[in-house]
Amino acid sequence: MIRPRDFTRIDDFLYELPAGFRPGMRVPARFYADEALMEGLAGDRSLEQLANTATLPGVVGYALAMPDIHQGYGFPIGGVVATALPDGVISPGGVGYDINCGVRLLASRLEREAIDPHLESLASALFANCPSGVGRGGEVKLKSRELDEILEGGARWALKRGMADPEDLERTEEGGCLEGADAAKVGARARDRGQGQVGTLGAGNHFIEIDVVERLLDPDAARAIGLFPGQVVVQIHCGSRGLGHQVCTDYVQLYQKAVRRYGLELPDRELVCAPLSSPEGRDYLAAMKAAANYAFANRQVLAFHIRRSFEQVLAGKVRHFNLYQVYDIAHNMAKVETHTVGGRSMPLCVHRKGATRAFGPGAEELPEAYRGVGQPVLVPGSMGTASWILAGTEVSMARTFGSTCHGAGRTMSRHHAKKSVQGHGLRRELEERGIRVRAGSLSGLAEEAPAAYKDVDRVVAVVHGAGIARKVARLEPLAVIKG
Amino acid sequence: MAGPEDACGPVRFEEVEHTADRALRIYGTTWEGFLVNAAHGLNSILAPSPSRVAGPVAKEVDLEAIDRESLLVAWLSELAYWAEVESLVFDRFDFIDLTPEKVRASIRGGVAERLGRNVKAVTYHGLAIIETSSGFSATVVFDV
Repeated sequence: MIRPRDFTRIDDFLYELPAGFRPGMRVPARFYADEALMEGLAGDRSLEQLANTATLPGVVGYALAMPDIHQGYGFPIGGVVATALPDGVISPGGVGYDINCGVRLLASRLEREAIDPHLESLASALFANCPSGVGRGGEVKLKSRELDEILEGGARWALKRGMADPEDLERTEEGGCLEGADAAKVGARARDRGQGQVGTLGAGNHFIEIDVVERLLDPDAARAIGLFPGQVVVQIHCGSRGLGHQVCTDYVQLYQKAVRRYGLELPDRELVCAPLSSPEGRDYLAAMKAAANYAFANRQVLAFHIRRSFEQVLAGKVRHFNLYQVYDIAHNMAKVETHTVGGRSMPLCVHRKGATRAFGPGAEELPEAYRGVGQPVLVPGSMGTASWILAGTEVSMARTFGSTCHGAGRTMSRHHAKKSVQGHGLRRELEERGIRVRAGSLSGLAEEAPAAYKDVDRVVAVVHGAGIARKVARLEPLAVIKG
Repeated sequence: MAGPEDACGPVRFEEVEHTADRALRIYGTTWEGFLVNAAHGLNSILAPSPSRVAGPVAKEVDLEAIDRESLLVAWLSELAYWAEVESLVFDRFDFIDLTPEKVRASIRGGVAERLGRNVKAVTYHGLAIIETSSGFSATVVFDV
């Protein structure tokens, strides 16, 4: 097992494991952390999983891990790996099962005091209008042709159905639609799973949260993004639901044969991969894009339900209750992007698994409003704790393929969390702190207890200190809706 | 967290700690028993406190894979799929044809009134089926 002491400290926030540490590693592994976060990994296999990703064929630069790293399967959660085109590999496990799991931030023009008297009703309306929990389908039952439209058009489908504003799409990564998606590469079972789930939250760590902007750390960037102190905002955290899970399952199974065909030797079968230039590589990329588009549409429909809920509760009582979109960003995705490696600009396939794209100022992929300050990075904390809005930097472009952290990162297993935390008690504790809670399952609530996660403020301090994102605003929760 | 004793040995499966997801150590004295115990292990995640099951419902399963590990993943993925799309939980398994790379079976169960959780996927992470004179064992990590 690889331990924290096997890494060399490069600076205050960066540790490195040399490429020669273990046979098969093609590049060094780097981990952004402080001492306490590094020591916290002594008991699990995250660092070994990070080293495993350094063995992928075609990997360039470094196999990277963000400070919110935790043990996953195959790749660690919080990992970033870039492979060079054309013959570098793409790995479905490097994206994860919840393809394009991500975060959307909606902002109001309201201050906290304006909604305080209505917070209970808002929480209840969100819980009623946004289907969540195990086995809950959505209001929209898709016909096969409509599903194709979603898979190839993403959030554009919702725009056509009157469930989006054009500005929502402008303020979504890739405009809410990855070009090159191919619905025909998505299998029948994935389609079955996706047919009734668009506009649903699901369970696990997914949530909708009403927050207040507690403070600004970079007022200029906050102004450009449209944030002010005391402002009420809403976060949505979810992904491509069963459709994405099945796409990954299907291709991980298919790739078990592909690795034999291409003679690829890997330390873990969950890391299976195929050259990007191969038929298998191209097929997965097209299917993954389709699943990612489904996730963009899913969060868009949820945003529609959230706006409807605000209107239901606040219309006639509070003015200016409309919600506008700040940004929508993926944290489980593989994308072909251009980055500079060894002084040379080259196309790479950047796998971000539990890591967020964090493009710096000037990036042409960003909406014009954000081009001066860098891409908004949305970092939800654990339930009941703070969340952060960060901005991408030049340093993230130079050092981490334009990537940064995605959340707090678990430290305690779900099993252990359920044993040590009572759902009832946790709900009472949150409500005593003034946080409204609506949850479909108390045991599910216990699994997501704040004690099961790292301190998000510490995680964010590392990425800010390392320069791979900078702090813009800190959010505090007012109401949490969970499946 | 041992399961009740059955024909396949004293412990059918047990939960293993995993930071982000759920993991089970599965045992079986025979290949058939191992797959049955794996299915019951999955059920313990899907429906931890068995809710009323309406049924019976039967499905036919016909899977092929490149080795035992792939067949195990395919088998559990099949069951997880039916749980998600039709809330089905299976507890009777009649194997018609079973080899290390192939399973044809008739499975019976019912619609669970309420599932405890979705299993997003069955992973290959660290998966290696160990075969000894006393049977089979493996640890399976489930993405939940």
